[in-house]
Amino acid sequence: MSNTPEEVEFELRAHVGSLWTGGRLFIGIYTFLIASLAFSYFYLRSSNNSDLWRPNHVTAPTAYGWSIYGMMMGAGILAYFGQTRLRKGQVADWFVACWTGVGLGVVALFLQIWELVVLNFYPGSSGYASTFVGFVVFNIISLTLGTYWLETCVARAHRMGFEMGEGAVLANTSAGRSFRANVASMTYFWGFLGLSGTMFLLMFYVL
Amino acid sequence: MTISAERPTEVATHSASPYSSKKPRGWFSQHLGTALLAAIIGYLIGHWLGNHIAWNYPTTAATGQNYVANFLALLFGVVGWLLGIGALNYPLAKLVGRSGEHEPEEADGISKYFRYSTNHKTVGIQYIVGVLLFLFTAGLLAMAIRTELLNPTTHVFSPDTYIKIVSEHGTIMMMMATSIIVGPLGNYFVPLMIGSRRMAFPRIEAFSFWTFTAGYMVIFSALPYGGFPTGWTGYAPLQTQAGPGMISYLFGFAVIGLGMMTAGFNVAVTIVNYRAPGMTWSRVPVFVWGILATAALMTLATPALFAAGTFGLLDLVNQTAFYVNEHGGSSYLWQNLFWFFGHPEVYIMAIPGFGVVGELLPVFCRKPLFGYKVSAAGMIGVALLSFFVWQHHIFQSGINPDMRPLFMLTTEMISIPTGFIFLVGLGTMYKSKMRFEIPMLFSLALYFNFLIGGLTGVFISDVPVNVTLHGSFFVLSHFHYTIMGGLVFAFMAGLYYWLPKMTGKMMNKKIGLWHFWTMFIFFNLTFFPMFIIGMLGQPRRVFTYAKSLQGLNDFSSISAYILGFSFIIFAWNLMYSMYIKPEMAPANPWDSLGLEWQTATPVPRHNFDRIPVITNDPYHYAEPGATPLVDRGQSSSSSGYQA
Amino acid sequence: MKNGEVNHLRRMGTWWAIASIVLDVVYWFAVGPHITPGRLTEMAKNNQMDFNILFLVALPVLLGVWIFMGYAFVHWSEKRGAPEPVGGPAGAENHRTNVLWISITSIAVLAAAVFGTWALIVDHGSGGGEGPNPVWIPDGASSVQATALAGTAKWAPGTNAPLPVQVIGQQWRFTYRYPTFGNFETPDLVLPANTTVVFDVTSLDVIHSFWAYQLSVKADANPGVNNVAYTETRGTGNFVVRCNELCGIWHGSMFDFGKVVSQGDFMNWAQKTEAANAANTKLLPAFAYTYTPDANGAAGGFYPDGGVTPYSPVETYGAKQPVS
Repeated sequence: MSNTPEEVEFELRAHVGSLWTGGRLFIGIYTFLIASLAFSYFYLRSSNNSDLWRPNHVTAPTAYGWSIYGMMMGAGILAYFGQTRLRKGQVADWFVACWTGVGLGVVALFLQIWELVVLNFYPGSSGYASTFVGFVVFNIISLTLGTYWLETCVARAHRMGFEMGEGAVLANTSAGRSFRANVASMTYFWGFLGLSGTMFLLMFYVL
Repeated sequence: MTISAERPTEVATHSASPYSSKKPRGWFSQHLGTALLAAIIGYLIGHWLGNHIAWNYPTTAATGQNYVANFLALLFGVVGWLLGIGALNYPLAKLVGRSGEHEPEEADGISKYFRYSTNHKTVGIQYIVGVLLFLFTAGLLAMAIRTELLNPTTHVFSPDTYIKIVSEHGTIMMMMATSIIVGPLGNYFVPLMIGSRRMAFPRIEAFSFWTFTAGYMVIFSALPYGGFPTGWTGYAPLQTQAGPGMISYLFGFAVIGLGMMTAGFNVAVTIVNYRAPGMTWSRVPVFVWGILATAALMTLATPALFAAGTFGLLDLVNQTAFYVNEHGGSSYLWQNLFWFFGHPEVYIMAIPGFGVVGELLPVFCRKPLFGYKVSAAGMIGVALLSFFVWQHHIFQSGINPDMRPLFMLTTEMISIPTGFIFLVGLGTMYKSKMRFEIPMLFSLALYFNFLIGGLTGVFISDVPVNVTLHGSFFVLSHFHYTIMGGLVFAFMAGLYYWLPKMTGKMMNKKIGLWHFWTMFIFFNLTFFPMFIIGMLGQPRRVFTYAKSLQGLNDFSSISAYILGFSFIIFAWNLMYSMYIKPEMAPANPWDSLGLEWQTATPVPRHNFDRIPVITNDPYHYAEPGATPLVDRGQSSSSSGYQA
Repeated sequence: MKNGEVNHLRRMGTWWAIASIVLDVVYWFAVGPHITPGRLTEMAKNNQMDFNILFLVALPVLLGVWIFMGYAFVHWSEKRGAPEPVGGPAGAENHRTNVLWISITSIAVLAAAVFGTWALIVDHGSGGGEGPNPVWIPDGASSVQATALAGTAKWAPGTNAPLPVQVIGQQWRFTYRYPTFGNFETPDLVLPANTTVVFDVTSLDVIHSFWAYQLSVKADANPGVNNVAYTETRGTGNFVVRCNELCGIWHGSMFDFGKVVSQGDFMNWAQKTEAANAANTKLLPAFAYTYTPDANGAAGGFYPDGGVTPYSPVETYGAKQPVS
């Protein structure tokens, strides 16, 4: 298989483009998933079958909700902030931001799982309760995916540092370019999680 | 045109990580056997865990079933399967920062087909086996259904068994049909047709295949679990009432959904990014347009199914009430979520068929494709519109009546882009020079069948007429005409056309003719009477019917047996042509201008020695002075064997 | 346009025109009057007419494609010595053909949609279930619903009053309640001729579907939902009722036979049945649109969680209808 510099560059560009396209398409897929949940919430709310949509305006433990939300937003903001610093060449800042983000993500994940244990209503006791449990499941998936993606980015950066020397993540090598494209898509996904997280916070904990 | 380069500071480095591993070989590497073993272990662990958690739940005592155990068993089984085949190696390696730059090497010989492979061509062939597995299983179930319907009063199966068979047949066929062309032919040929050496995400592609097979096992597990009584449509509250087989259905859909999303994701990103230089959008082959349109649906519509299935599982396992009216849920919620997926789903099954025949027709008409842009626009238009028609499946269910004219309009409108396919087909046939090879015969059969299927769809989309036809055998015949008469025939066309490229061997023509004519004639004889049966009042999924309809039912059943036999002829042809008496294929047996035919046979590991530079689209038949497809100065040589 | 080109299309066009006209006429007069679902009710007649009109349009489309393809196989086959095709832009594009095709298909499709909508409105929903809040209501039908619920509905022959009939689906049979006759419930469906019938379809358990074939009525029976469908009977006759939505193992045997009889006969039957069933009727719940138990009903309390779960304070028997 021939590997002229032009061909290598072409395939690298295709690869970097794929990370960009793939990241956006993944957000698209996720949007439809989230939208299905949001649809269910509003549908059951407007149906109010048996007057059991949200009796007594039952609400899930708001302390948990806000903490999880805060941590998720924190991780997202840190990822975004970290990427800004990375683009300016401040790799150390990026590491700190992202590891903190990973930590926040992991704690948020555990809190979210634990919330199911301390729920103040039975899962099937109302439409709100059902959609809330569905939301928790999706949130667990989101937090897992987001934190995983964040963690693998930092891990990759560390390994690149060990194997290819300091500044490998900033270099114009194929590994560097691929890495930065991946980080960009990851940050975008966290932005999306922030947006959808805000929407669900309003739906389940605020309104 | 050359590929300009901003020269990188170095040629690609590959980190010397052990993940970029040696060739897998031997019994103690990862392969189908380890996958099966790990799946069984996972299943047992999950079952144990479920029992440990839920043995004292009131629902366990009350129903005698432990849904938590059933679900966790299936979940851990699937995870075990994926772990065992090696699909999760890289995701786990990434946690410690290992790079994915270096693809694992492929195993030698036939064992590569039993392993996790990042070679899209291997995955394509694996998908053929997977798809045929689904097809034959569900086909046997269909034979059982027709046997039951031979007589309205003498029953072969108990009503419980019968409904289990009907449900399983429908579900397995629908799951198979989602991937029957995208899986084998899409994965194998899209990179070749766009001049790429690889897929964008080969690991995700392989993951999609092994998830697909896991889905088969999950949905098949419904049978030993006692089946599920809801048909493939899974309506609540019957779903909530059902036994443990329902979990297999719901979770099976979630797993297959994951396979669909990942397969569609990979192929869509590949088409967008990996087109060879010079391959502008107006030079992309029609088959690739079809796969792109399908991939858009696979990625964006399937999440609704995933959500619907998750909510159903939550209802059964966690006692939520998504679909239970009496507890604040709604049975309409399932209907809406399911059909929001369900309608794009059937276009996932129609569009690849259009892509295949659009690709094949110019080759066998020796004429350019008529209306290339119209063809692409038609497929994209169908895909887009398919999101806006779903309530035509539930016109009489008690939905807001004001919605009905709206959905009638959108459904009628979708027949406009669907009609483009016929415009393109007929235009290509006009004043052509047709060669009636077997792929051409199957393609022409698609036009014949889909015409009937599509037109009957217009009848059903009309709300007043829908009042009579909904839920009857008329609808059943409509969708068998479109899905089986369209997609499955297109699959056969594609197989007969492309197997010489995939394997270097021709499919036997004589047996192929027997296969085609038996399948075509008896397909029509099986399903055409069903329009009449439906109009005369026989609903779907019933084991008894008016005595006066027995003649038609018997005619249909006997024809169905022979139709089933035609698949045996097909299997025989496959065996004969591939193993028993293979006949070597010439490099380009159909004289096609397509780029995939310009690779060597067998197709080298990285497809093209040099990335081709595209200078034209592949439809310039009957145009002696046309610009060639590929810039000869740059491309690989096309004949002979290459390492 | 060259001579040869006009010849092909003209030839095909001629055959097509002749075949379409002949077959359409034969269809309309010989087959059409017998097409599903018959002519027992106004809805049935109109739906039959709709089907026939659609068929009249579909048949020429079918014939057009078939004739074209058959012609192509004969004249443009390599084996039969077809001339070399014309390639290049001339063979690959024809703007006029595209425009013509797209225009004709678009017009046909939009006309079908408009026609369908008109038929739906004019026919008061064409016998399909319209949900709990129907929009195209025959005269007097909405007031009769209100009186049925209040228990004051009356029906008598010759008054042109609509007749409300409740269809209750359960696993695995249909039963029918007549609110104008003391709310008796019977497994027999008998209807008077020349009457607007208002069906209130509901279910006690899973989703069924009330399909009265010759009446041309199809309405899903959903638990907790009232699905309203209308039909206007004309002559007398028998009809078949089948469950049309998979509802469990005995779905296949969930069918019934009903009949439309003269108004006088119906009145006799109804009064007789009302009297005969009086003792049973006293034990039934009051007429309501839906009858499903909820978190408050059936042996009190599903969740043994010490009263943490809030229960609905409102009884759902006859309560507000869910919006779908």
